[in-house]
Amino acid sequence: MDVKSEIAGKVWKIVTAVGDTVEEEDEIMILESMKMEIPVGAPGGGRITEILVEEAESVQEGQVVARIEA
Amino acid sequence: MNTHPPAGQEVADARAALEDGARPLAVERQMKRAEMTARQRIAMLCDPASFREIGGLVRDDDGTREERPADGVVMGCARIGDRPAVVLAQDFTVHGGSSGKLGSAKIRRAIQQAMRDGAPLVMLLDGGGHRIQDGQDSRHFANGSPTFHDFARLSGWVPVVSVMMGAGFAGPTNYAGMSDFVVMVRGQSCMGLAGPALVKAGTGEEIDIQSLGGAGAQVDTHGLAHLGVDSEAEALGAVRKYLDLLPSNARAPLPCSTPPPEDDRQAQMAKLVPADTRKAYDVRKVIARLVDPDSQLEIKPTFAKNAVTALARLDGRPVGIIANQPMQLGGMLTSPACEKIAHFVAVCDAFGVPLVYLIDVPGFSIGSSAEKSLLGRRSARMVYELGHATVPRISIVLRKGYGLGYIAMCGGRSFDADASLAWPTSEICAMSLEGAANVAYRKDIDRAPAPDERRKEIIAEMRARVSALRGAEGLGVDDIIEPEDTRNRLIEILERAPARRENAMPPKYRSISPI
Repeated sequence: MDVKSEIAGKVWKIVTAVGDTVEEEDEIMILESMKMEIPVGAPGGGRITEILVEEAESVQEGQVVARIEA
Repeated sequence: MNTHPPAGQEVADARAALEDGARPLAVERQMKRAEMTARQRIAMLCDPASFREIGGLVRDDDGTREERPADGVVMGCARIGDRPAVVLAQDFTVHGGSSGKLGSAKIRRAIQQAMRDGAPLVMLLDGGGHRIQDGQDSRHFANGSPTFHDFARLSGWVPVVSVMMGAGFAGPTNYAGMSDFVVMVRGQSCMGLAGPALVKAGTGEEIDIQSLGGAGAQVDTHGLAHLGVDSEAEALGAVRKYLDLLPSNARAPLPCSTPPPEDDRQAQMAKLVPADTRKAYDVRKVIARLVDPDSQLEIKPTFAKNAVTALARLDGRPVGIIANQPMQLGGMLTSPACEKIAHFVAVCDAFGVPLVYLIDVPGFSIGSSAEKSLLGRRSARMVYELGHATVPRISIVLRKGYGLGYIAMCGGRSFDADASLAWPTSEICAMSLEGAANVAYRKDIDRAPAPDERRKEIIAEMRARVSALRGAEGLGVDDIIEPEDTRNRLIEILERAPARRENAMPPKYRSISPI
């Protein structure tokens, strides 16, 4: 399952790690855009298998930032 | 001996020739470029066996009926969601769906029928505009076309809906431009004033058809159409849902449905909106919990995402929700967002749908790009439409209610709201606290021995003065409500609010839209 960023912004804080178990809508990471903290939530529950970005990296709208195995 | 076939047989033959079954080659051609024929589209859109064709038997003096069945426009009366509607579908297999003399006359007849019946008009468009063979003759074309005059009169009387099924440059786009709700099929349909060939011939610009007029451009980027979907069936489903949420005409009562059973969705409401104004959240989740389950139809979900507009039901009653979206641009109001909201408010007001504003707005966009986008006038149109509204309107501040944005979002007493409410997390003031500190207290901060500390102190002092409680103390808002009580409070208010209020205008003929 792809975790996508809904907006363009900068990765501010990654609050999970590969191997973590998450439930739907849990925060995976927080982006920063327009001085706002914008959470990227899990599209569904499962285990995080990949985190594809690093803190301070810029991401585009629709970019896959992590993957979850249901 | 009379060799002429019996009259009944002649009519039956003419009718049979119109059906898809009698036109296998045309159907085969159509299936290579689309999912359905014009008649299949109508059958899927309308209630089973409810379509009664009008003008199916038209024939030009110079043509045979077999060459131009129905002159490329399948039109008639039908029922959608068990209510009357007038529908038409352009048939691309007849001269590329172009509008000939009789086809154009049928479109005009459809508009008149919708006007007289007080029934929605649905146009399934798939054609190339005016039939050039007919149009290059001043004896015919000097008449112009009364269609747009008719469309203008129809506007606001009944819902007018277009689906761009495939080809939609020129004429179909002009019709869609007069429609309240326009749906496109991604990767298949296109729209615009002129297609790539004419654009190249006229201007030299080379551009492919999807980049010029596909859903990515016309729905997501420009907002010309309201919704992009992945299939024809989905497009027709969206039209049915849209019409289900609106009355048949401006004087018909709201189509209320049976209220859903009570559930426990409200308990989680407070968790959705963090008190810290720096933290974004998805306001669509707030809306989804507030309204009846699965009742929402978001309008323009992919355009100007910093504002959310959605038709939905509250305890069975249709409502129009207007919300700022903190996830996008912090919920700031921009020109595209103003246009989106202004049009949505006009549609809701035309058809008696109450307005519910969910406010979390940092203000309007500023800077040279905002000025270039005519935000000064587009923001004016947003308040102009609300100023003309005759339907119930309720405002709820979820968090930030700043500046003109707060007023434009129906905050406080700005537009005589039936109820003006705030959540405990609200901050209501003329501008952002950080902005105010920088502008109004700059000298104070600069002179302080520890400027950063002084700045924080000033912001904290201001924060104490912009609370929901102080807003209620001055009667700016009627009350402060808990997030979990919001749904029930909205339902109660809409039960008592008069469906329409007289708009106390001076005796003028019309108002003048700012843009």
